[in-house]
Amino acid sequence: MDEVFKALADPTRRALLDLLFEQDGQTLTALESRLPMTRFGVMKHLRVLEEANLVVARRRGREKLHFLNPVPIRLIHDRWVSKYAAPWASTLMGLKRELEEEDHGEVPRGRDQPASG
Amino acid sequence: MEKYPEAGISLHPDDTAAVFEIFIKTTPERLWEAITDSELRAKYSFGVATRSDWAPGSTYQAGVPGVVEIAEGENLEVDPPRRLVQTFSALWSDEVRQEGPSRVTWEIEPVGDSCRLTVIHDQLRAGANGELYGGWPMILSGLKTLLETGEALTTPGSLRYSGASA
Repeated sequence: MDEVFKALADPTRRALLDLLFEQDGQTLTALESRLPMTRFGVMKHLRVLEEANLVVARRRGREKLHFLNPVPIRLIHDRWVSKYAAPWASTLMGLKRELEEEDHGEVPRGRDQPASG
Repeated sequence: MEKYPEAGISLHPDDTAAVFEIFIKTTPERLWEAITDSELRAKYSFGVATRSDWAPGSTYQAGVPGVVEIAEGENLEVDPPRRLVQTFSALWSDEVRQEGPSRVTWEIEPVGDSCRLTVIHDQLRAGANGELYGGWPMILSGLKTLLETGEALTTPGSLRYSGASA
């Protein structure tokens, strides 16, 4: 997780993620053309993003395409935001239950529900 | 320089693709089981079970019977515990049904005491509805939590269809 925050703590790297968010799967050449920076500089920043797993590279023929991988940011969200989102979930789940089982008086508490069933 | 010189599929020209990657501290066998076991799958997929016999060329259905249909498709390649390639037709709304079939590839690669799981959702229409692939980060985060802690996530989406039945 250190690597993710370090990677995000730089405006150029955030700009690279913005470019991939706008259009996913770009080559180094395409990204370089959008930034006031040398090819080598962009490469260095992309490497930091790849090491943090925020960018994943894949080959397409002879090209190497860069994709925004939002999963590490989702992990950060789930670690700290999920607690605050849970009451919303339980309210929604409670409402759903009530609508589905109108003859059932008990209001379920979302967090304590089994995850499947 | 090349991070994955040997890894996986090469993308087709003109494909629109989304790539998701996560490291999970588990074995390839456990990870494969969590992807293909209907009950385990439901625990981190909004409560939605995926049913199939997982033979190559077989079909799968994802949904909560009588409540909601989520997706269906064919298992094009089944190579446990390394690689699963599926067609993916989203069914949860009229909008996503119109997108037609796309393709989902799961790649599992052991790295030290962990696995790198890559999910590539490709053969998407250019400008495809983001809902088609927008659920993957939450699903993969839930999969990691399940395998590493044995617990299910309690985020709103992860509970969406849990406990729902016809």
